[in-house]
Amino acid sequence: MRKLYITFCLLIALSMLLTACGATGGAGQDLKILYTSFSGEGDVPTLDPAIAEDTSSIQIIEETFIGLTNINEVTSAVEPGMATDWEETINSDGTVTITFNMRDDVSWVRWNGEEVEKVKSCDGDDRMVTASDFAYGIQRNQDPAVASPYAYLLGIVLKGAAEFNSGETSDFSTVGVDVIDDSTIALTFLAPAAYNSQIAGLWVARPQPKWLIEGDECTEAVGERWGEAEFFQSYGPFTLKEWIHDSSLTIVKNPFWPGTDEIPVSKIDEINFKMLDVTVQFAEYEAGTIDASDVPLDAIDRIKADPVLSKEYLIAPEQCSYFYGFNNQAEFTNDVRVRRALSLAVDRQSLVDNVTKGGQEPAQWFSRPGLAAAPTIASHPDLGISFDAEAAQAELQSYLDDKGITAADVDLTLLFNTSSTHQKIAEAIQQMWKDTLDLDVKLINQEFAVFLETTDGPNAPQIFRSGWCLDYPDANNFIRDVFASGGNTNAVDADGTLNGIQWVNEDFDELVIAAALESDPAIRLAMYAEAEEILVDKDAAIAPIYWYSLNKITKPYIIRTYGVTGHEAYEKWDILPH
Amino acid sequence: MGRYIIRRLLNMLVVVLVVSIITFGLMHAIPGGPFSREKKLPEETIRVLNERYHLDDPLWKQYGNYVYAVFIPHITTTPPSNSLSDDFMINVNIGSVWIRWMNFGPSYKSRSRSVNDIFRDNLPISAQLGLLSLILAVLIGLPLGVLSALKQNTILDYLGMGVAIFGVSVPVIVLGPILVWIFGVALKWLPVSGWGSHPPFLLGFLPTNFGWQYIKYAIMPTVALGLGSSAVIARLTRASLLQTVREDYIRTARSKGLRESVIISRHALKNSLIPVITILGPLFATLVTGTFVTELIFGIPGMGKYFVTSITNRDYPVIMGTILLYAVFLVLANLLVDIAYAYLDPRIKYD
Repeated sequence: MRKLYITFCLLIALSMLLTACGATGGAGQDLKILYTSFSGEGDVPTLDPAIAEDTSSIQIIEETFIGLTNINEVTSAVEPGMATDWEETINSDGTVTITFNMRDDVSWVRWNGEEVEKVKSCDGDDRMVTASDFAYGIQRNQDPAVASPYAYLLGIVLKGAAEFNSGETSDFSTVGVDVIDDSTIALTFLAPAAYNSQIAGLWVARPQPKWLIEGDECTEAVGERWGEAEFFQSYGPFTLKEWIHDSSLTIVKNPFWPGTDEIPVSKIDEINFKMLDVTVQFAEYEAGTIDASDVPLDAIDRIKADPVLSKEYLIAPEQCSYFYGFNNQAEFTNDVRVRRALSLAVDRQSLVDNVTKGGQEPAQWFSRPGLAAAPTIASHPDLGISFDAEAAQAELQSYLDDKGITAADVDLTLLFNTSSTHQKIAEAIQQMWKDTLDLDVKLINQEFAVFLETTDGPNAPQIFRSGWCLDYPDANNFIRDVFASGGNTNAVDADGTLNGIQWVNEDFDELVIAAALESDPAIRLAMYAEAEEILVDKDAAIAPIYWYSLNKITKPYIIRTYGVTGHEAYEKWDILPH
Repeated sequence: MGRYIIRRLLNMLVVVLVVSIITFGLMHAIPGGPFSREKKLPEETIRVLNERYHLDDPLWKQYGNYVYAVFIPHITTTPPSNSLSDDFMINVNIGSVWIRWMNFGPSYKSRSRSVNDIFRDNLPISAQLGLLSLILAVLIGLPLGVLSALKQNTILDYLGMGVAIFGVSVPVIVLGPILVWIFGVALKWLPVSGWGSHPPFLLGFLPTNFGWQYIKYAIMPTVALGLGSSAVIARLTRASLLQTVREDYIRTARSKGLRESVIISRHALKNSLIPVITILGPLFATLVTGTFVTELIFGIPGMGKYFVTSITNRDYPVIMGTILLYAVFLVLANLLVDIAYAYLDPRIKYD
């Protein structure tokens, strides 16, 4: 009898729980809410444009703050953002000033817990986005006390910025930022480079609410915490609604965004980003709880074979390159014939078809096609280097004969950072080198931060994995920023010590510096093609492996674009009734 | 007993300090720093960043400042500010004076959060999951172990231990995705990922909504995490109980004519629990401070991830914070275990 009673009680409790569940569904039928996810290791690090450095932070910043210029997420072209037009004047000292004429009809907004409202000044007027807000944003990005990891992006182009950031001067008026009036700002750049107007529009040069960060008569200063949901203010097509750290972030449509041809008013009311591992994300997608997801590599075969999923799956280019760097000063790899033999022996097509499988493109050179001024396979089908077993064997044989040694004497090491993807690629390429050249290359792996320390030092191993993704969509950001003397993977210390690939070629350096300043697009393209030829074939300082692709899966009722610049423009998306 | 506990708590302080020195030394000894990037930061930027976080100070000074910020209560008249470097776990206001204690510093990676923010937002979720799993583990493990011991070498014993071996040998990384696939993706009975409650929490760590909305998120991770531990508990209980029932005092109890159920519950089980309680201490500390794999598979915003990512990111304050947190939980759990011994076995005395 007592048992029966307990069972009865349990049943009652269970039914109460179940009814409680039923009552909560069904809200928000009229709103268009998009559910999607960030991949990666958890929380969005920050929403403060001054210090953001990773993809998820920049994605939200792109939707909530608009730059002076806007980079079209599909074509990578520079188009009007907050500035409607701009004009360049070359100054007598060789610097160039770009004067931006801005919109004056954009108001700062915030989520007040119930709806998006305009932010009011102490006088009760709407706070509009002004040229001073831009100047303040740039100043904060460059302020050494703020310590932005990406301060150098403006530092390399904007007059006086590097000196201000390093603390050489604390006078911001020495930096090439001039507020002419509320809707006009002039930026002075060091040289008339083609990518100045791109960098002027990047997240590092976005307005920030000074009254909120530093406080004023009617606002409490919240300092570094201003990017949290309870304080956040912005002005783009969306603003922040809710941020549950490590779990989800929701942005809500800003109804006060005026809407432009390039950046329309959003059709979607809310976007909810979960922060999930890519496998979990895809499980949510299959359960029907998120609408757009990244694709785990091990699911690609199944998706391609599935009649429904295969239609929802799309591969788009991503502006990143995967490559193997050679230490150009180390034993064996200090000879161009060895480097070229190793590069020629890599069957890139087979690698992307059988190992990486995600629709990557075999790379014949370094700069990702699609960047401004970068060669494309259509424009330069034979440029660079590709798989050629015979040529590879001939190069190596010539070297071996010269030195009077055999392939068994060539002792090579390939280093990659610990990861199953890098491991698979390294093992496949190791096998290709064995099959084609009869070389036994040792593989070693190191934890990421240790790996970075090793490859960035003078004792970089003979061959090491590396990769690069865009900051701004111009070939300069790839070939020069990475490989010119002093570049990211070819760094030179103050005492002249070479690091990374340790490659010295003055012709190359001169060529990429001249190309940056060239104004004729056709000549510029030809110059970068020539530079690529030197880098990957003539000197074979690196071996390009593949160009990245995005693997996306989206429910059929979502209308979307595919951003190649590392972020999406959700204001152009729509959700059909379903 | 009171004096014993106080002595143990003082010892704990020493243990935590030693752990902090070792952790601090090790994390600075490994190559790479918090500002190592594949896209290398310019030397100037690294200098600025190091200056901001005082990483340019000599190590002894950095450690001294850390100990000062974390261990020493600050008595001041300035109220707490919004600065991330000025975020104390405990702020007590007496008149115009503030007593502020335990500032674990800002995170280098999540640049709008401090380590205390991570403790406040993520630790309660890990603790909820850990406690639920521990309860489940005990609820399954103890009866299973007792049953197997009492019915030794019968089909029930083999079945029980079979379940236990399954629990031990199928790790969460296998069981988790299978559960997700069956109940989340195919049947759609339970949510695939997430957690049913989020900050702010009741009393700082309890969920504010405890209904189906909460339970449906908790079921799968609790089962996945609890099952493995329940297997360990079951095997220990069985082995320990088998030994106890052969003791003389059990024979005495039998010869007194006590009923078998009384003998087991009052005499045998209580004494055989000592080894089980011993492992419950560390198990509690491990489960409650967060479990990396379980939280990853079920997309739970807990602490577990930070034990791993803080090290790959060389996020020094988060490394120190997570390790010290674990150390404190472990030491406290072991203290509770020792107190429980005295209750379970009256022969054990601490004074």
